[in-house]
Amino acid sequence: MEVYKADVAIVGAGGAGLRAAIAVAESDPKLKIALISKVYPMRSHTVAAEGGAAAVTRPDDSLDHHFNDTVGGGDWLCEQDVVEYFVAHAHEEMVQMEHWGCPWSRKEDGHANVRPFGGMKIERTWFAADKTGFHMLHTLFQTSIKYPSIKRFDEHFCVDLVVEDGRVQGVVAIEIATGEFRLIQAKAVIVATGGAGRVFRENTNGGIVTGDGMALAYRHGVPLRDMEFMQYHPTCMPRTGLLFTEACRGEGGFLLNKDGYRYLQDYGLGPPEDKPRNKFMELGPRDRLSQAFWHEQQKGRTIEGPFGSVVNLDLRHLGEAYLRERLPQIYELAEEFMGVDPAHTPIPVVPGVHYTMGGILADGKTASGLPGLYSVGECSSVGIHGANRLGSNSLTELIVFGKVAGDEAAKFAKATSISNPGAIEKQADAIQARALGIVNKADGTERIAVLRTEMAKSMESGCGIYRLGTTMQETCNKIDELKQRYKKLKVDDKSKVYNTDWLLAIELGYLLDVAQVIVYSAFNRKESRGSHQRLDGYEQRDDVNYLKHTLAYYNGDGAPRIEYGDVKITKSKPGTRAYGAAGVKADEERKKQGAANG
Amino acid sequence: MADTEKIIEIEVLRYRPEQDKEPVWQSYKVPFTDDMSVLQGVQYIKDYLDETVSFRWSCRMAICGSCGMMIDDKPKLSCKTFLRDYYPGKLRVEALKHLPIERDLIVDATDFITKLESIKPYIIPKEERTLAQGEYLQTPEQRDMYEQFSSCINCMLCYAACPQYGLNPKFTGPGILALMHRYNADSRDGGQAERNELGYADEGYWGCTAVGYCSEVCPKGVDPANAINQNKMNSAINYFTRFVTPGGADK
Amino acid sequence: MSNRRPYVRSMDGWWKRDAYFVSYMAREVTSVFVAAYAVVLLFGLVRLGQGEAAFNGWLQYLKTPWMLVFHVIVLAVFCYHTWSWFKIMPKTMPIMFVGGKRVQPGTITGTGLAAAVVACLALLFIVGGVS
Repeated sequence: MEVYKADVAIVGAGGAGLRAAIAVAESDPKLKIALISKVYPMRSHTVAAEGGAAAVTRPDDSLDHHFNDTVGGGDWLCEQDVVEYFVAHAHEEMVQMEHWGCPWSRKEDGHANVRPFGGMKIERTWFAADKTGFHMLHTLFQTSIKYPSIKRFDEHFCVDLVVEDGRVQGVVAIEIATGEFRLIQAKAVIVATGGAGRVFRENTNGGIVTGDGMALAYRHGVPLRDMEFMQYHPTCMPRTGLLFTEACRGEGGFLLNKDGYRYLQDYGLGPPEDKPRNKFMELGPRDRLSQAFWHEQQKGRTIEGPFGSVVNLDLRHLGEAYLRERLPQIYELAEEFMGVDPAHTPIPVVPGVHYTMGGILADGKTASGLPGLYSVGECSSVGIHGANRLGSNSLTELIVFGKVAGDEAAKFAKATSISNPGAIEKQADAIQARALGIVNKADGTERIAVLRTEMAKSMESGCGIYRLGTTMQETCNKIDELKQRYKKLKVDDKSKVYNTDWLLAIELGYLLDVAQVIVYSAFNRKESRGSHQRLDGYEQRDDVNYLKHTLAYYNGDGAPRIEYGDVKITKSKPGTRAYGAAGVKADEERKKQGAANG
Repeated sequence: MADTEKIIEIEVLRYRPEQDKEPVWQSYKVPFTDDMSVLQGVQYIKDYLDETVSFRWSCRMAICGSCGMMIDDKPKLSCKTFLRDYYPGKLRVEALKHLPIERDLIVDATDFITKLESIKPYIIPKEERTLAQGEYLQTPEQRDMYEQFSSCINCMLCYAACPQYGLNPKFTGPGILALMHRYNADSRDGGQAERNELGYADEGYWGCTAVGYCSEVCPKGVDPANAINQNKMNSAINYFTRFVTPGGADK
Repeated sequence: MSNRRPYVRSMDGWWKRDAYFVSYMAREVTSVFVAAYAVVLLFGLVRLGQGEAAFNGWLQYLKTPWMLVFHVIVLAVFCYHTWSWFKIMPKTMPIMFVGGKRVQPGTITGTGLAAAVVACLALLFIVGGVS
């Protein structure tokens, strides 16, 4: 097997992986970086992020505001010290992106512009029209070309981490074009592989978002944290699940039920006003908005049509010119995919799975418990999203913690050396044999698409916007069953060049592991918090028993072992999570209390 | 939209380098609904009819640039081309023209990537600025000068549309020249002189004969033909001034 | 050893593949006619230099049936060439703003065509006035 000797290997070349690679390159140009991605970097799913990236910018905003929005938005399940670091470093990273050429939308005076976003008290979302993720990704990718120490392994599919002497010392990847294996030796490995939205059926995610890195770290004993918290984005295209950015509402869009009524006012988000008001109505947080859709559906107030039950996203009052300038991609999606002209007709939308709040357990410096292993981005859980992520915090997370991961991995790599290369190569051979075993199996009977569809359907029924113990139990059983059937998977394609069938089979293995973690974590959390809402006697938040992180450990063939970890609270005690007028009242009371105490 | 299932015939140009000497057409019958894209049609084939058909795809929403194909001989993103527009006829899908076929609908993108890496596609600052100094100021109008050219998703449809690239793969080609112009036209950038060496070369702007089809097929309105041809004047001026200016213009 | 064997497709007959290419080739071919007509005019210039009789002979020649047919064809071809030339013109110009609004390609093409028509009419008028 071909061996490449790197100092730092990075798996995943989306926003987080690229930012980390640049950070390593800048911290020490002598360090050799291997940047491994199963697609060309600019195909990574960062590309699809639309709305923007949060950073405190305006004089009337403050780090405390951003902190409070994030922690409250996360229903107090955030690591508060990490959030403090995050909000403090957000702005400089935005400026760094600007220096690298990111085409941020501007104000007339030439400064970067900011727009409102859901759950945010003050406008602080930097944006590049409605293609922010696209522009950030391409800017990072193109900037990374400047650094000769970054050696890219494009279209290389990572099949395993190599753990030797109790620490990570490399990865094994398949070169997709040839089907040949490569061992990439490294003193530190950063996993930046993105989320796992593809375990669900109707989702906003690209086909590549299959939880690869999560599954790999998990199989090596690193726990996955808070995986029950899956974000449903309230405004997606029916059936395909494609995303209509929150910026639609930030710019002033309304959500209407079948009576043309702004129903969010019935769910503690009102009163409605004509202009968007931060943390009111359509600018409430995503979990609340998706839950409101569910209630409307129960009440029979959604619109029934060829796409099932939908509500309307009404942008008509914004006018064509403004929509074309601020939301060009949304305009195009509605027109081309749905035949709807949003300047004249409301867009039918439904909630869809969008984001994996949980991930690989990492400390505030992105390090996992396994020495040499770091994780960053959606695959990681550094702890800033808690039980519900605020829109526009994730793009910022990529670059703030991408830099941290790069710096930390560089430091670690410089202080260590590869131990026992012989044993590492032997392990790599074993990994190769296992991966080939999947394609060479003679007696397979199960089809990939069938298992994948059954998994996604079951996850949707068990881990939807609202959850029940009984259906979650069914989903647990179903996923357990699918994992057994996976062992009998049949791969028709036996070739080596671009054998995508083989890769889909390996991805399905990753998906099933992650799906199992999600549903077992959900089943065991007997309360309602953020995006995890139950209807079977656990409708309330339970801070006594569940102000805790879920930690799921790999347990071989069996169900994951679920444990709980403490939540780091520095300055925000869990309080009432309220929006709209009720939120204003809660804020005032908190202030009064603070004054009385202080 | 009606939800009754119809059947459409999709012909795929197959090429499996380990068994086919040259590409061959293979036909599949695919049930579809009116909201299904050509990509979903091809996915159906892979999921339920023939697992060995290979193609690239990811975002499904015309932004990742993976799923470009020739659809009835026109370069298109298969995720935003719809089966209903071909029914009741059949449709043919083929790997993007002018690029070598690796397998089935997958082309070899190495040349594109190598060229992308060669043109210094990053800001070479006109004046250095520290993070503490904040962002460079850029008015919306200055941004408009390059924004369109920064919207390229690297889908390579323009390469499949460019006969000059097909005839001479040394030509830098539409997408990459547009990217070069994107940085040259950015008010923050001062790297024009370095990049012009490539732009003014035979394989640069002058390899283009203004066919214009690249701009026609671009799914993102980048207009690479414009990015290229507006530079020919500068290039020509540069060519002649180097005879009269001591030391040459930009070289 | 790699199993890759990238397949390169032939470019033979590429211009017949797409209507867009055919119209592009038509634009390129019409420039041959432009050149041919330039030769005719050049020839006239040479005859003019040779004296009045020579020039009148050339004028007479232009009035022969074959040359009239040639002129009709050239006129049609020139019309197509002019149209296709102005159609591609927006691609050759930098992005322009007038009153804060982007100048649209259609405007550039339209202005170019209008200018060509006005120039032709002006020329006809002048020539008509002289004779």
